Amino acid sequence: MKKIIETIGLSYCYRAGTSEEVKALQDVNMSVAKGEILAITGQNGSGKSTLARHFNGLLTPTAGDVLVNDFSTAEKKNIKEIRKMVGMVFQNPDNQLISSIVEEDVAFGPENLGLPQNEIKERVDWALCTLNLEHLRREPPHNLSAGEKQQVAIAGVLAMKPQCIVLDEPTAHLDPRGRREVLESAIRLNREEGITIVLLTHFMNEVIHCDRMVVMDNGRVEMQGTPHKIFRQREGVTKMGLDFPVSAQVAAGLRREGFSISPDIIHTEELIDNLCQLK
Amino acid sequence: MELTKNITLGVYLPGQSSIHNLDPRTKISAATILIVLLLFARSYEAYGLIALFTAALIFCSGIPSGYVIRGLKPMLPVLVIMWVFQLFLYKTPDTAILFEWWVFEATEAGLHMGNLITLRVLFLFTVTTLLTLTTSVVSLTDGLESLLKPLKMIGLPSQELVMTLVIALRFVLILAEELEKIIKAQMARGVAFDQGNFIQKTKKLFPVFLPLFIGAFKRAEELIVAMEARSYTGGKGRTKMKTLRMSSSDLSAAFVMLAYSGILIYVIISVEPII
Ligand SMILES: Nc1ncnc2c1ncn2[C@@H]1O[C@H](COP(=O)(O)OP(=O)(O)O)[C@@H](O)[C@H]1O
Ligand SMILES: [Mg+2]
Repeated sequence: MKKIIETIGLSYCYRAGTSEEVKALQDVNMSVAKGEILAITGQNGSGKSTLARHFNGLLTPTAGDVLVNDFSTAEKKNIKEIRKMVGMVFQNPDNQLISSIVEEDVAFGPENLGLPQNEIKERVDWALCTLNLEHLRREPPHNLSAGEKQQVAIAGVLAMKPQCIVLDEPTAHLDPRGRREVLESAIRLNREEGITIVLLTHFMNEVIHCDRMVVMDNGRVEMQGTPHKIFRQREGVTKMGLDFPVSAQVAAGLRREGFSISPDIIHTEELIDNLCQLK
Repeated sequence: MELTKNITLGVYLPGQSSIHNLDPRTKISAATILIVLLLFARSYEAYGLIALFTAALIFCSGIPSGYVIRGLKPMLPVLVIMWVFQLFLYKTPDTAILFEWWVFEATEAGLHMGNLITLRVLFLFTVTTLLTLTTSVVSLTDGLESLLKPLKMIGLPSQELVMTLVIALRFVLILAEELEKIIKAQMARGVAFDQGNFIQKTKKLFPVFLPLFIGAFKRAEELIVAMEARSYTGGKGRTKMKTLRMSSSDLSAAFVMLAYSGILIYVIISVEPII
């Protein structure tokens, strides 16, 4: 599969050259395949956000290289194109909405791209429609729930028609319902619009809906693979400080009690199927 | 502690009134004229006319008058202090003394001056509030940007300045919400903000404003990153989803403003100023 983002020996230091140097990333080699949903997970401070900010050139490597569609982010002249290709949604919806009206906020990105007026309008309509936000288009953000605000932030990125959207813990500040809706939106954008999704999260119930996952610890990529493959490595996952998906926890408990349950279970459906086969 | 309820400046109340639908440039120009005229009004007759016109504007805007008045409430202490200051400190040589208090004496001239200044600030605030209530921040800033465009020639970065304003206006609310949260959190820990003398009260506010300021800086940083991620590189090369267009109602508004200004200027000139 074609890679949309690739990091090669990527290292990054905050405050490089000073006494308070923080080595946030060390020799990270990973890639994002076109069209997939990739989860990046790991404990707080493991370097997820730092890595994500390399994907559209918000940060540039201290050492190594980051390629977006084969363009290096280290070269200034590529940045504009790269920002068009890779959009980013952040954790706190309040700190990324600029305008006091939803539709104007969604228009902010396309306006920055210098697009003609009618195209901006079309894109805003399309983005709002795709995320089912049309009824909110004239609302000020402070009247919206946190989940709705986050959906607006996603719409704002979507209106730039990126090939890839990186979401940096978009659900951390949301209630369960908002969390579910944002996750569903991300999945829908992937399935229906073919947009590559990179989802940073520490909710394992979000991770299991992704095609692949990358586990970070201490600025390094420690595990990579499908959720099924990763969660089978029980000791490794525990060592990374991660939880298990609820179904996997239940399955493990049952196995300990002597039931013959597959060690590969992470989804609720798999657990149900397996339980039904028991007798 | 319902701070967000009381901050009406900078909050837009969507609507379809004749005032809502005016071009923002018309509204900004009109508000500017109204404010400038305020500075020249120095008689109760003039303020009577201003009050009438302002009331008419509020009526036309379809905004509940209670909403406007609630926005004035936080101003009240400032207005009272200003009034008292003028009452005791403003003097003319031949003015009558109303009463004395300690080393101060309240004069008739001071009373009038206090009234005038209070009225002036009151209407200044009402006009600006009305402007922001009927104009979305977006069209407000679009209008401002358009009006300030000529100043680019003398090197004023008008687009960037307006963008700063856009963000500042949005963040006023967010910060107010946050302040409310912090105050509630402190109250839950037993801090009584309404007890003690002035110094004690002020001291209690430190642990409130400190986290607020730190939070504001963090927000600003995150916002810059978010704007950058959405390809913002300053005003250059930016296009707009909406272009401003004047309509016939803007023309009518201009006529109304012209007529009103004419009458008010006549009143200002012909009526003897109170001070
Ligand atoms: N602006 C910064 N300056 C200095 N150090 C930072 C900064 N941002 C993050 N770090 C440090 O870099 C490391 C990785 O942080 P981050 O990428 O935010 O992790 P995560 O998103 O997984 O929580 C942490 O040790 C953090 O303290
Ligand atoms: Mg993070």
